[in-house]
Amino acid sequence: MPSLQLEAELPLGGFRESFDETELAEVADIAIVSLAIPLQGEAAFEAALLDAYGVERPAAGQSVISKDGRTRFLWTAQDQLFALIDSASPTTASDVAAKLDGKAYVTLQSDNWVALRLAGSLARTALERICPIDLDASAFPKDRVARTAMEHMGAFICRDGENSFLLLSASSSANSYLHAVRTSLQNVA
Amino acid sequence: MTQVNRLDGGLIDRGDVLDFTFNDQPLRGYRGDTLASALLANGKRLVGRSFKYHRPRGIFTAGSEEPNALVELGEGDRRESNTRATITELFADLAANSQNHRGPLDFDLMAVNDFLSPFLSAGFYYKTFMWPKAFWEKIYEPIIRNAAGLGRSAMLPDPDHYDKGFLHADLLIIGAGPSGLASALAAGRAGLRVILCDEDFRLGGRLNAETFVIDDQACSDWAASALAELAALPNVRLMARCTVYGVFDHGIYGALEKKTDHVADGGGKPRQVLWRIYAKRSILAAGAIERGIAFPNNDRPGVMLAGAVRAYVNRFAAAPGQRVAVFTNNDNGWRTATDLAAKGVDIAAVIDTRDGPKRTDIADARIIMGGRVVGTKGRTGLKSVQLANGQSIEADCLAVSGGWSPNVHLTCHHRGRPVWRDDIAAFVPGGDLPKGLSVVGAASGSLTLGSALREGYHAGEAIAEDLGSKARAGSAPVADDEVASISAFWHVTEGKGRAWLDLQNDVTVKDVKLAFREGFHAVEHLKRYTTLGMATDQGKTANVPALAIMATHTGKSIAETGTTIFRPPYTPVPIGALAGRARGKDFRPYRLTPSHRWAEEQGAVFVETGMWLRVQWFPKPGETHWRESVDREVAATRKSVGVCDVTTLGKIDIQGRDAALFLNKVYANGFAKLPVGKVRYGIMLREDGIVMDDGTTARLGDNHYVMTTTTANAGSVFRHLEFCRQCLWPDLDVHLISTTDGWAQFAVAGPNARKLLQKLVDAEHDISNEAFPFMACAELTVCGGTPARLFRISFSGELAYEIAVPARYGNSMIRTLMAAGEAFDVTPYGTEALSVMRIEKGHAAGNELTGTTTAQDLGLGRMVSKKKDCIGNTLSERPALNSEDGLRLMGFRPVERSRDLSAGAHLLAMGKASFLENDEGWLTSVAYSPELGGSIALGFIKRGHERLGEVVVANDPLRARRIEVEIVSPHFIDPEGERLRA
Repeated sequence: MPSLQLEAELPLGGFRESFDETELAEVADIAIVSLAIPLQGEAAFEAALLDAYGVERPAAGQSVISKDGRTRFLWTAQDQLFALIDSASPTTASDVAAKLDGKAYVTLQSDNWVALRLAGSLARTALERICPIDLDASAFPKDRVARTAMEHMGAFICRDGENSFLLLSASSSANSYLHAVRTSLQNVA
Repeated sequence: MTQVNRLDGGLIDRGDVLDFTFNDQPLRGYRGDTLASALLANGKRLVGRSFKYHRPRGIFTAGSEEPNALVELGEGDRRESNTRATITELFADLAANSQNHRGPLDFDLMAVNDFLSPFLSAGFYYKTFMWPKAFWEKIYEPIIRNAAGLGRSAMLPDPDHYDKGFLHADLLIIGAGPSGLASALAAGRAGLRVILCDEDFRLGGRLNAETFVIDDQACSDWAASALAELAALPNVRLMARCTVYGVFDHGIYGALEKKTDHVADGGGKPRQVLWRIYAKRSILAAGAIERGIAFPNNDRPGVMLAGAVRAYVNRFAAAPGQRVAVFTNNDNGWRTATDLAAKGVDIAAVIDTRDGPKRTDIADARIIMGGRVVGTKGRTGLKSVQLANGQSIEADCLAVSGGWSPNVHLTCHHRGRPVWRDDIAAFVPGGDLPKGLSVVGAASGSLTLGSALREGYHAGEAIAEDLGSKARAGSAPVADDEVASISAFWHVTEGKGRAWLDLQNDVTVKDVKLAFREGFHAVEHLKRYTTLGMATDQGKTANVPALAIMATHTGKSIAETGTTIFRPPYTPVPIGALAGRARGKDFRPYRLTPSHRWAEEQGAVFVETGMWLRVQWFPKPGETHWRESVDREVAATRKSVGVCDVTTLGKIDIQGRDAALFLNKVYANGFAKLPVGKVRYGIMLREDGIVMDDGTTARLGDNHYVMTTTTANAGSVFRHLEFCRQCLWPDLDVHLISTTDGWAQFAVAGPNARKLLQKLVDAEHDISNEAFPFMACAELTVCGGTPARLFRISFSGELAYEIAVPARYGNSMIRTLMAAGEAFDVTPYGTEALSVMRIEKGHAAGNELTGTTTAQDLGLGRMVSKKKDCIGNTLSERPALNSEDGLRLMGFRPVERSRDLSAGAHLLAMGKASFLENDEGWLTSVAYSPELGGSIALGFIKRGHERLGEVVVANDPLRARRIEVEIVSPHFIDPEGERLRA
């Protein structure tokens, strides 16, 4: 019998491909934790966030990066944020809960999502084919985030660089999502 | 291959010679030609046959309004019919064929229809072929359909790719002629984000076809310099070959961009892209379309619109004929004569319907004021023109101008109704325009160049200002307003022969008269009775003359007669473009379970459940029938242990101080007192008291729960809970998030389930029956520290668990379960075995939760707590839902055990006929039970719980089966639940 040690694998097996100078790559080593802000606990949460991560709570449609640069907080809903953490142990949410001193309800979300980064000069042109959001820099500058649908799949899009977009979609349909983004890139490359 | 009619000049690239074929004849043109201009340059006037009468037809226009010059392009699966030669960009090796004829193009056998024309007038098929009735469908209609029609479909799947996309702009400008370019300059200079679309491959519109002067430059040169300025602006996007075909709600426009139609090999890129354009404002600068004048035999190849003739000569350096006559009711016709004469084309005559002095001198041309063309000659191409004064003029091209119709199409898409203007004899945009849309230039009725430029530029400036932007350096382009008077003239009444209005549908003046005589006076009736304005050109050149002639019959003015209005699309949009990428496997997204790859390796058979692909069963070598596999999976699970991927069940993480209270309100049964570490089965009602969904909820902590839903209702239950949380009880501290995809979850069922799991669960976690009894749950670790969740719940009726690990470990987990289970002959099972076992156990599923059944129907009436309030509680007490005669979920077995039951069969008391009034219920779920060795069923029957042992009839008229069945308990196995508590 093989070892009982379980091996982890990413939804797309660490996909990475370049089209001209634009790269589409699955983002590994990222932990995603949702933070739900308790009713009437906004002030306490914001204080804990500032204390633990050195940042203000992001406004609707915005994201902010923690002082240490390791965590990006995405606005996702009225009383909810996602924390995207550079992490080698993406299957634990307890660190975040502890750092925030219980001022938010945390839920592990890492494996709910497939994370892709589309970066390069063709990124925006490719996304025009599937993303209904206006991605012009005047309307969607760096650090802006939006929840939308691409090819009938729910998705988050966050501009994390001038020509770089972080995309999150459901992990169970990761193949379909990759196909959608990759086809877009192929079609404009 | 000499281009007999090629002139000097033009906006073509003579350095780029393009060889092409028409009806297999090799011909030659240049880059910048359309197929139509190249055909004319090669002296080809006859290009097709008409729809009904198979009359010889030639090129009539130089744009997308073309009714005649429809050809087939490409071959095999790329054959595309009804392609307008006038907008087909010439490319090397283009292969075009004429369509709608039998035999050669110049000797079409179907031209016999023309001799039968007295019998084929408008609406002939409404009145003929009436007898015998049965002949219509089998004989007459096929013959008529075979004889008519335009082109042949490829009848093969389209091999090309298509794509879709989204664009955003402050200002969308539709049309890149003079007014559109002026608007774009004003708005672009002011910094607005501008999209400028034009259907042509060369932007500039009529500026490329005329010889006017703008800002002291030739107007085509001015267009080129304006485009260069716009191209250099980063805020302006120029989109050639892009037709805005529809105006939709809230500033959304549909546009079709042709990407690779103009190249022989598209390189695998999408052929066309269907854009959805979101625009804060839009400007319609779509210009105007010229129309003809009806006179006898005005459809011969060589009879063309005057503006088109000018376009072919000026832009394409292709003379439509060697000797050209002009017939006009306005000054535009004269411009054709002067432009052609300047290019050295022989002008035979100018015939103006208006009296008065001639407008200008044309060398060697006869000028006839107050003249009328009463006939033409030439079988497959014009040879001469007969005038009302008896003269006959030899000419191989007659350029006709009956005036210009503003291109109002898109202004009608929100029901705007154009209004008539006598001074220009045309309809202009009227009524309510789509919000945010302005109309400029010829499209608004400003038919002269100076006014179009001024109007366009000012509209661009005004929109920029309105959107908070200041106009910057630059000024409006200046041009003179040319002479453009018109005197309406629609129809020459003298002469013999039919006078065509709609060339594409073979509608003549006589047909309009017939429609009038038969009472079809309204424009919409006229259209439908005669087919005027249908098909690819939508009557762009025909509608106005036709309704003007109807007005003369009714005695009403044109304004009173009105016009038909337009709906999207402006020009045809291929179905392929509407479908985009959604074809084949990628028709819609698909979802895979974490064990999918492993299951594929096992040769599993998959089934689509919603978007999920789930394993239906795992065939083993030698198994020839699905039932063999399923029976084996059931038997093996009940005997030892089976594993099934149940990741697809919805999982909702619920947290908050009020989570317990929240659950108590959304579930019909009590959840307030569920202890930490326990799972409870719950049913959820809709507000009307009907069961919405069922599932289990586990309490992982004081304020932390995980709910499971059925696979099918994962989305709808989440939406319902969010509604409850946000709208019904916003004062509760409850937070929801889906974790369906986050956890790979496997049902492990069978007498050896615990033993198997004990090999995986880390030793510090005690999962013995005492420590971890039925309906226990825990967060623990497996396989040396991997976080996991374990729930002791059972759908199969066996000792069973569901074990969940983060999805990234799912593939490894199924392999480990199988490896660890070898000692117990572990068997993977699919949804069919899952279903068999739940039917044997009497558990309700989708077949029973139909959206019409109550908790009482399901035998779960006592679960609806009367001690608390919950959604659906009140209305579940409606008398009709609680009648004595109500349905009850029961088990059924055939009296004759060897017979197979069928789901959907209706239940009748013995001896009752199969009428609705005798209907007592139906079978919902049927399975072959390996345990019982026969067919079993679940079903609803009136007062079922009082009728145990009674025999009724399961009547299935669809399959012609009547089977006597015994009513039994729905719990076919282990009714006391001893196995699952073992």
